Amino acid sequence: MIRQLRLALRTGIVTEAVAPDENLEVLGGRLGEAARRLFGRSLHIRQVDAGSCNGCELEISGLTGPHYDLERFGLHFVASPRHADCLLVTGPVTRNMAEALRRTWEATPDPKLVIAAGDCARDGGLFAGSYAVVGGVEAVLPVDAIIPGCPPSPRALLAGLLAAIGRRAADGAR
Amino acid sequence: MAALVYTVTAIAGIAAGVVGIGGVFGATFTVHIARIVPLGGLELAMDPLAGLFLALVGLTTAATSLYAIGYAGAARGAYAYLAFVTALGLVPLAANAMTFLLAWEIMSLASWVLVLDRRDDADVQRAAWVYAVMTHAGLACLLAGMLLLAAHTGSLRFADWRAAAPALAPAIRNAVWVLLALGFASKAGVVPLHVWLPLAHPAAPSHVSALMSGAMIKLGIYGLLRVGLEWAGPGPTWWGGTLLMLGVVSALVGILSALVDTDLKRLLAFSSIENVGVILIGVGSALLFVRAGTEALAAIALVAALYHTVNHAAFKALLFLGAGAVAHATGTRNMDAHGGLIKRLPWTAACFLVGAVSISALPPFNGFVSEWLTFQALLQSVRVAEPGVSLLFAIGTAGLALTAGLTAACFVKAFGITFLALPRSDAAAHAHEATATMRWAMAGLAAACVALGLGATVVVPAVTRVAASMLGAAVAPLHGTTLTFSVGADFASLSPLLIAAALGAGLVAPRVFLVVAGSPRRARLGETWGCGRILQTARMQYTAGAFADPFKRVFRFFYRPVKRREVVAHPDSRFFVRRIEYANPARALFEEWLYHPVLRGLVGITHRVQALQSGNAAAYLGYILAALLILLVVR
Repeated sequence: MIRQLRLALRTGIVTEAVAPDENLEVLGGRLGEAARRLFGRSLHIRQVDAGSCNGCELEISGLTGPHYDLERFGLHFVASPRHADCLLVTGPVTRNMAEALRRTWEATPDPKLVIAAGDCARDGGLFAGSYAVVGGVEAVLPVDAIIPGCPPSPRALLAGLLAAIGRRAADGAR
Repeated sequence: MAALVYTVTAIAGIAAGVVGIGGVFGATFTVHIARIVPLGGLELAMDPLAGLFLALVGLTTAATSLYAIGYAGAARGAYAYLAFVTALGLVPLAANAMTFLLAWEIMSLASWVLVLDRRDDADVQRAAWVYAVMTHAGLACLLAGMLLLAAHTGSLRFADWRAAAPALAPAIRNAVWVLLALGFASKAGVVPLHVWLPLAHPAAPSHVSALMSGAMIKLGIYGLLRVGLEWAGPGPTWWGGTLLMLGVVSALVGILSALVDTDLKRLLAFSSIENVGVILIGVGSALLFVRAGTEALAAIALVAALYHTVNHAAFKALLFLGAGAVAHATGTRNMDAHGGLIKRLPWTAACFLVGAVSISALPPFNGFVSEWLTFQALLQSVRVAEPGVSLLFAIGTAGLALTAGLTAACFVKAFGITFLALPRSDAAAHAHEATATMRWAMAGLAAACVALGLGATVVVPAVTRVAASMLGAAVAPLHGTTLTFSVGADFASLSPLLIAAALGAGLVAPRVFLVVAGSPRRARLGETWGCGRILQTARMQYTAGAFADPFKRVFRFFYRPVKRREVVAHPDSRFFVRRIEYANPARALFEEWLYHPVLRGLVGITHRVQALQSGNAAAYLGYILAALLILLVVR
């Protein structure tokens, strides 16, 4: 224990400093505002893995890390679709997950957004045409926005969320 | 024939209720018929306390008899039931020891016969056996205590005991109190004399369980009040202190045992132990306040105890009748085989819900008022300046608060697991609603629960009359208006009607607001969210055991849980498991730690003593010689 502490103290901080990202602040701030305009409060996201390789999940979990820290913009990942405003779906939608994905969508209260994140979720990606996949989230659910990328970076995810909310807000205004 | 008996008892029950209420308001009468009963004849007398308990017995009997008319389980045992309710009515009226003890014994024997309803069942036989032993051990204590009192007062009449009590030697009074309190406590189901209750109540048919729990065990409380305040006079502090602590222990042990039980009727039986504990907290406080010379506070405690006694009769009888309807409809008392019954037995479910909310002491129902009063009585103890006594009251307050919370959890379980969600068995899926008279009996008791809650401003002054008659006329009644009654001059006040109005407004206001705010009234029905699982069955639901598990963990020191796990592997490899059996049985700690050692000791002593009875004539002659010599030497 003492040895560990001494080692930690002697080593000091070795992680590289990250340059502050002004664009991220602006993007996140706009996203939070847009969500508040549309839903009247913060945006709650339920992430659904519909057969992903977990590459997208790695990037999504980056969003909750100290650098992006999306909770400060009023965005939260929740543990149940009952609490969610938005489904963030990854993966090519395997046959085994198709029904579960549909049920998740049904369990989410209206109004709700569906965002397909990653190339697989867009059209099946690498797995398109396989007997085991349905092929893209759009084959199962009405999709509001698609975030391409294999995997999409956290910044791309934020931008995609903003686009989706913006489009929905425009629809609502019409 | 059975239907006729039940009709007669129902009408007689209402009549007894009216007479009893008359007694509460001051009507008195005495009946004396010599020669029916030896040693003083049959002697009955009415006073406010007797009136209250007669009304309680009578009105409970009316409901259970009405229920029994349509209840298939009541086809047998109608005459035993008749004897039972007659004795129940005579006990509070009895005015001398012989009448009292005879009525008491008929009550015990008749209920014993009724407990032995399904006499082929080994569990029922055991329950009846334990009940017979416990109730007769209690009777022996009563007999000893009453004879002792009779020997020192020279009379068997209760009125003479009351007059002679202050002049008796303290040692005699203490001995009398201990003996009689033991006898009455064993009938009331006070821990640790409660072991018969969770066995006998489930074994009896439900209308009898309701009467045993609603009325019979209350007569134990009646006896404790009589002996503590009248027959043996106001006693030393330790009388009240003992009752208060026994009350706390009974309340906690009762509700903790109820919480983990999966047998609906046994759960209710354990809950009766808890409620007797709550009543005893009031009784013990009353005795302590009398000792401290604060009769006004004693009156509050006594009113709380008596009010809770009446309330418990109403809601526990209701719950037992509801449990009987459920058990009859599904053929089982195991809650894990119930579920979804609210759709199939809507009447029973609604009535059971009223009972469950009442017993959980939630406003505006009756349990709330009496538990509130009990709390007020305990909190008023700040006006008694004795550190030791104050500590007892503090323990009582804490115990009562914990009990109240656990009771709510227990009855969320009892109602939720039994009536909500999906049926867990075919029997529950095809259950049928209770017959008309059963429904009316339950509805009547549910109405009583509501009336005793909302009408507290009427009931409290009436109960205060009873308390005043026990404590002497100097006690001012708890004062109140039609809307509010208050405890002490400026201590606390309660308005059940206003609380009910506020709750009603709280229910209605959001809906009104939504309509006014122009909310779209769209509702979307979906199936229960099962994490995307395709197949959902009733076996995936919350069970009674799962609900109780967190409590089992928190109160590990009380439950001392044991786990039995048995894994049967394939003979060729232990990695191929054929069967796993897991059991997490509830333990009966009082039997294990108190009764079994005592019984084993008794049996051991008997075996030793048996050596004397050798069958050898020479040895017997030797005993006679020895006895003769001892007598000669001692003289």
